[in-house]
Amino acid sequence: MQPALADNTSPFHYLPPERCSDEALIQMKDIVKTFKTSEGSFTALKQVTTCFYPGEFVSIVGKSGSGKSTLVNMLTGIDHPTAGSVRVGETYIHRLSENDMSRWRGRNLGIVFQFFQLMPTLTLLENIMLPMALCGNCNAPAEREKRARDLLALVGLQAEVEKLPAAVSGGQQQSAAIARALANDPPILIADEPTGNLDSRSADAIFQIFTSLVEQGKTILMVTHDASLAQRTQRILLLSDGELIDPWVAQVFHDLPHNQMLWLTHHLQPRLLTPGTSIETQDLASIGLCLVVGGQLEVLNGRQASPRAVGVLKSGDYLSSLDHQNAEYSGIHLQSGMEGGASLMVLEQTTFQGWLDSNPGVRHSLENAARDRSAKGENLPILPGGGASP
Amino acid sequence: MSSSVRSNGRTPVDAPSVQPGFPPPLPCPNGCNGEPLIRLRGVVKSYRTAAGDFNALKGIDLDVYPGEFFAIYGKSGAGKTTLINILTGVDHLNAGEVWMDGLSIHGLDENRLSLWRGRTLGIIYQSFYLMPSLSLLHNIMLPMDVCGLYRRGKSEQRAMELLRMVELEDHAFKLPSAISGGQQQRVAIARALANDPPIIVADEPTGRLDTLTAEIILEIFSQMVQQGKTILMVTHDQTLTERVSRTLVLSDGRIDGANGGKP
Repeated sequence: MQPALADNTSPFHYLPPERCSDEALIQMKDIVKTFKTSEGSFTALKQVTTCFYPGEFVSIVGKSGSGKSTLVNMLTGIDHPTAGSVRVGETYIHRLSENDMSRWRGRNLGIVFQFFQLMPTLTLLENIMLPMALCGNCNAPAEREKRARDLLALVGLQAEVEKLPAAVSGGQQQSAAIARALANDPPILIADEPTGNLDSRSADAIFQIFTSLVEQGKTILMVTHDASLAQRTQRILLLSDGELIDPWVAQVFHDLPHNQMLWLTHHLQPRLLTPGTSIETQDLASIGLCLVVGGQLEVLNGRQASPRAVGVLKSGDYLSSLDHQNAEYSGIHLQSGMEGGASLMVLEQTTFQGWLDSNPGVRHSLENAARDRSAKGENLPILPGGGASP
Repeated sequence: MSSSVRSNGRTPVDAPSVQPGFPPPLPCPNGCNGEPLIRLRGVVKSYRTAAGDFNALKGIDLDVYPGEFFAIYGKSGAGKTTLINILTGVDHLNAGEVWMDGLSIHGLDENRLSLWRGRTLGIIYQSFYLMPSLSLLHNIMLPMDVCGLYRRGKSEQRAMELLRMVELEDHAFKLPSAISGGQQQRVAIARALANDPPIIVADEPTGRLDTLTAEIILEIFSQMVQQGKTILMVTHDQTLTERVSRTLVLSDGRIDGANGGKP
């Protein structure tokens, strides 16, 4: 029996990349992007595999140069992968000719950038109507003005339709740019730093527009530097140095620097436990770090004749060998849930120790977490991170 | 009157039969060819701010002749952008007149102004203003589709020719973000020429470009002038003024006559 990997209680539909399900609207597979520079070549994306599902609102975050924009550029066709494939719906977009790609994009993607690029000599209404003219049959000429007005109303600009861009605020200009991106009713909206040029209040207004579009069934991918906005999307994709950080690692170990998260992503080994499987005390010594990403693990105290359940580890909880300093953890053993088993990500003790030894900052951070946990009282976890978010 | 500079040979939107109030040319001490194509008389623009009225333009008189590559040089805050907005009809003036090709543009209603602008002016901005989700080809087709001077098949063909002129034909189906800033500005130039307008207005066209790329843009401008276009450029870059046929200095909202108008 297979434990459920997609845990609906979690903000992260944890699907290992190779398990991208058939419902995926967008599938990016083994994407490599190498740029040639004067100092040699630079690999901006290193075998990135990821999926996006219809109706998702996903933020793509990471430091400058981590590959965020390069990733969405693979989708918009602004750039081509050096290797790998991008499937959107039934279309492998990089197999299209440039001309076909341009046509495909016009119907399927709305694109919003940091800079609004509205034509200064045209009213907001005219700015929205313009691209409609180029989409062939998308909107009949007679319907264009009505649709443009409807779109401007959708983003709260019904009173400003006849104004020139310079006569409205930056936030309103970006709202108009979103309306323009929706002109041909594309199912997917790609936004690259859409709030990068806005104050926080305007940024919030833009976010509200995105939220309502998602409710109407659009799929939105947003590249952003704004951590608080990212937190409000359904799912966060964190990039570091051209690679995706495992979403569970990003969520649970959010205090660690990105390069350390990436290290964990590389070294954690998946382990599936069928329902009722035990990890005995002696085996536990070989495990340095154990992160639950699906199902649950019961923590049993084996010192007594009949083991007593002293806690439960759910998705997003972890246990490390640093916790052994906590009296509550001595002599425990673990057992996967009787219902759905457990899906774990595990680091061996020797690897874990080696990591801590060479990274005092990581040790400090994880020791603090263990200490906090110990201070929380006699009963064992609900562990750090507070379990999976509702 | 100035129909000799109309390289497209079309009838203008509003036939330039001289309208009442059409101003005579300003004195032209060094000798000028023909009649001025652009005439500004007593142009005043002030803004109401929290700190009181701010006078951005304080009575501008100016003539630009057909075939000139004309620069207005000014420092930041001198009123350059306001002047561009007045010239393109994006902003209204408080007093004065702007005549272009025999037409007082601030007397037009918005619809006629918009149509006039589309056919008479090509506008080039510092930050390009290309539509981000349209291919380069489509960006250039836009003004043609709006003004209806070219049929659809013809507009695509013409857009491709313009892309060839700025040597970007191979990139026709790319998005603006896929090319460099200098290339984007070349696309913007091609777009400005889409409806074959007699007048090109350029607002700091090289402001965001490196020196080498700026040189390419200026070279294209020189070619446009040779082909009969009239270019009015505002800039804060003094080196650009060496490349033009005439320069006036805008300073504190006034054309600075001192120094013979040379920066």
